[in-house]
Amino acid sequence: MSLADVAFGLVMVGLSAYLLFGGADFGAGLWHLLSRRRADKDVIEHAMGPVWEANHVWLIFVLVMTWTAFPPIFASVMAAHWVPLSLAALGIVARGSTFVFAKAVPDQGWYAWIFGASSLVTPYCFGAVATTVTTGGTSWLSAAGVYGGVLTTALCAYLAAVYLIWDARRLGDADATLRFQGYAVLSGVVVGLLALPGAVVFGVRSPMLIVSAAAGLASLVLVLRRRYVAVRATGALAVVTVLWGAAETAGLDVAAAAAHDAVLQVVFAALGIGAVVLVPSLLWLYVLFQRSEPPARPRPL
Amino acid sequence: MSSLALLHDAAAGAASPADFAAARQQMAFTLGFHIVLASIGIGLPALTLIAEGRALRTGDAVYAELARRWMKAAGVLFAVGAVSGTVLSFEMGTLWPNFMDTYGQVFGAAFALEGIAFFIEAIFMGIYLYGWDRLSPRAHFLTGVPVVVAGLLSASFVLTVNSWMNQPRGFKLVDGKVTDVDPLAAMFNPATPVQAVHLILASLMVCGFLVASVYAVALLRDRKAGRDDRYNRLGFAIPFSLGAVCAPLQILVGDWATRFVADNQPIKFAAMEGVEHTQAGVPFRFAVFEVPDMLSLMLKFDTHATLRGLDAFPADVRPPAEVVKTGFEIMIAIGMLLLGLAAWWALTWFLRRRAGGASGGRAALPWQGWFLRAATLAGAAAVIAMEAGWTVTEVGRQPWIVYGVMRTTEAVNPNPGLRYGLYVVLAVYALLTAAMVSVLRRMRHRPAPPVAAAEPETAGAR
Repeated sequence: MSLADVAFGLVMVGLSAYLLFGGADFGAGLWHLLSRRRADKDVIEHAMGPVWEANHVWLIFVLVMTWTAFPPIFASVMAAHWVPLSLAALGIVARGSTFVFAKAVPDQGWYAWIFGASSLVTPYCFGAVATTVTTGGTSWLSAAGVYGGVLTTALCAYLAAVYLIWDARRLGDADATLRFQGYAVLSGVVVGLLALPGAVVFGVRSPMLIVSAAAGLASLVLVLRRRYVAVRATGALAVVTVLWGAAETAGLDVAAAAAHDAVLQVVFAALGIGAVVLVPSLLWLYVLFQRSEPPARPRPL
Repeated sequence: MSSLALLHDAAAGAASPADFAAARQQMAFTLGFHIVLASIGIGLPALTLIAEGRALRTGDAVYAELARRWMKAAGVLFAVGAVSGTVLSFEMGTLWPNFMDTYGQVFGAAFALEGIAFFIEAIFMGIYLYGWDRLSPRAHFLTGVPVVVAGLLSASFVLTVNSWMNQPRGFKLVDGKVTDVDPLAAMFNPATPVQAVHLILASLMVCGFLVASVYAVALLRDRKAGRDDRYNRLGFAIPFSLGAVCAPLQILVGDWATRFVADNQPIKFAAMEGVEHTQAGVPFRFAVFEVPDMLSLMLKFDTHATLRGLDAFPADVRPPAEVVKTGFEIMIAIGMLLLGLAAWWALTWFLRRRAGGASGGRAALPWQGWFLRAATLAGAAAVIAMEAGWTVTEVGRQPWIVYGVMRTTEAVNPNPGLRYGLYVVLAVYALLTAAMVSVLRRMRHRPAPPVAAAEPETAGAR
């Protein structure tokens, strides 16, 4: 395995993590927009609050890794698709800002509305670009682009619903738990109906397709049997395999685009050293805010 | 890959002058926006930790309230800083793809390090913001430390890339292809130390004076109403002291930076100081003033030293000298005024302490109306100085994106329509700025904390 393969593997790890964590945050924003109930919105804000910024950094990781390890790929994709990618970036700005604004001044309803709308725009644009690149198309407005945008947005919504069931449960909200269960089943069915025909049309012949379908079905069963933690794993697997299948189909010539070995070695060393601090910190963040009950311990000072 | 081919097709036709100008303006505008937010993102957590540390040590509820409020503001501003920084990562590719294509791998390792630092910053920011009730007070304080350290590190790593653009090292160019890449040599290029120190001091000054100016307004109101609010006084004193400590250091570092530029980017130096012609005994010109031989003396410690002027360089490698000179003068002027204000603050403290009046606290510091009025303006002034200095660095490097190696015109995205992108970005950022200011004002006008009036003696232990 060459250094370029390792670097590509790292980009895929970053993309997968961004889809599974950042993507779920976008999906949560979407449910925030769609649901009329305050209780649902509370669950979403509570779940996203401490973690969304760390989840967002996976995108930075992917961008930096790509431009360092595969500069021509980064340059060509960004240059050719500057319109949807600029829209995605502005969506990120609007999403992040209005999330904290809405929390700081809850009486301003339109911050929450922009938060929801931009949570729709960003994954749509990313998905449209990813599918266009994968299928060798030129425009994000092509049928493939639109399909990819819709599918990615739906995947995010599905992930969010699956994750949020347990978050609602953790907060002791039985009604919201039930509703997110419903959202998960509903969006799961929609994603399945979108993904499988698409895979056939675009000639995805990857075994990932079967894994994804199986994991999707397993998730459906697990949701109905109320295994809210286990379903997070199968739901995530069902989604991330779509990404892997697409990457396999794209068949990028990574070796030709790779940076010099001296560069990759320094980057790997940096990531290795960074991981020593990063991984435990990230785990602590998730564990700290995923404890089943919020320990009510108001500080004296 | 098809999109790869697309870039090369489009590259056949270069960007129109309007699109090229738009790309530069968009980069300047979004970077100029982010630089302020990033400064606050570094400085405000530091101020919060100082207040929280004092609260832990003294049990003083006023410090705790300051820490809590600054933490909340930091949460909002850090988020805006993070997303506005993300825009810059995108623009590297959407605006300057050929720059990234050729040189992305040379300076990329610095961004990988920056990415790690920023990740750690974001993780601990989440823990710090939401851990107030979940962690012990001491543990909460400690989770803030990585936020500050990682913030300083990530700023430094990013700065290595800008210094590299001024002093490109760590590669060879053979037939337009980059070879023999040495990422560490690129990162530790000669401009890195001075630029990193200069920017970090600038960001601490911006944050210190900006936060202080908010409380200066409150103190002026207190004066008018004959009130004495310790919360406002401490809210002013902590950030103002931070700015005041950095101000004199920044003058020294600025001198170092100027000498560095004179030695390594003489054309930028000529533009900064408005040296038109190469001559001996160059006068120092500042705005309308002129001191004969002074610039030669300041730079070479010799009144007859010869300095190279703009005319020593071909016209097609000269930066827009007027912009650079004006930016430089604004930065210097404001730097000196802030130094004066810092000296006023320090001198009053020193003299009153020596006079033996009250030790510390209210009496030891200048609360005169004029001082506070000047302090009200110091925040905005520091921001202007920083933007002016940044303009000197960036515009002074033109027409190069990589000094002496790649022209900015060669780097730009050849696809048409960039100017429409600029309009959209301007509109979004205008709304964002308005919303951010409105949110911060509303956060400030929340009901005043009951502890605000507490005196140190009565604030008591926890």
